[in-house]
Amino acid sequence: MSVAAAPRTPTRRVEHVWGTVISLDVRDPVDPRAVDDVFEWFGRVDDLLSTWRDDTEISRIGRGELDAGDASAEVREVLESCERLRRETGGAFDITVGASAAVAPRPGLAPVDPSGFVKGWAVERAAGILEAAGSTRFIINAGGDVVVRGHAADQRRWRLGIPHPWQRHKIALVVGVTDCAVATSGRAERGDHVIDPRTGLPARGLVSATIIGADLGHADALATAAVAYGSIDAGWLVGVAAMGITDERTVVSTPEFDAFRLD
Amino acid sequence: MDRRRSAEISSFAGPELRQEALQAGNASIDGVAGASYTSQSYAESLQAALDQVGL
Repeated sequence: MSVAAAPRTPTRRVEHVWGTVISLDVRDPVDPRAVDDVFEWFGRVDDLLSTWRDDTEISRIGRGELDAGDASAEVREVLESCERLRRETGGAFDITVGASAAVAPRPGLAPVDPSGFVKGWAVERAAGILEAAGSTRFIINAGGDVVVRGHAADQRRWRLGIPHPWQRHKIALVVGVTDCAVATSGRAERGDHVIDPRTGLPARGLVSATIIGADLGHADALATAAVAYGSIDAGWLVGVAAMGITDERTVVSTPEFDAFRLD
Repeated sequence: MDRRRSAEISSFAGPELRQEALQAGNASIDGVAGASYTSQSYAESLQAALDQVGL
């Protein structure tokens, strides 16, 4: 017989994972074991897919030591999703750009590097773990990539601030969201870590791109693709809630994105 | 396909976009989207301040 842990309200947990910080805020009663499961899952994702460690499946695939077809189900799923996203974005999202002879090698840029998708995909799965445990009202924030479910308070959507790229304690704009994902990719903090696959050079044009959508993995990849491409003026962003902050310090947005704005 | 037609197609290829100047303000928020902070810089981030209030 197992002893059920008492649900607690609300539950907050902050942990350092994947070189960033993940904040979890569950506002309805949830079994603490489900929260443990979420962080256990994040650990498994790191074990399989970190490009900063030599011993992960993704690093072994990159070195040619492991055939992608022999990888675990999660890694195969990630690689298949990334291939679909490459086609969807006309090559702007390309996890093999680091293997190109035109790209200067540097730490963290692996030959097979699905990082622009994995964080979002893993957090989306984590949301599924909480939902399976019965939670309907929570926010998971992984270094600025966010999944929300339900409302922050009665009838009030979650208010998310998008920081000013050069004044990090100021907010550039605010969106109100429920039951969706908000992904951002950018060059702001970690330097020029996004490569334009067309040139092999660091991307120019957008400091950051933010995508709001139903799935955080998909949104994360589109945001990465937009920064790589250097613009949100792309056919594959028609009908998508997309916003970019440009090198010229302007905010460019689609009508679908503007529908979420509260400021 | 002639060049003029190709230019027309590409101008209709992307989404309809609005452009405005970047603002810097303060707002009451539940979370920070789009600060790709590293583990080191998290402590000084807006999200850390929010997490602190919650704890």
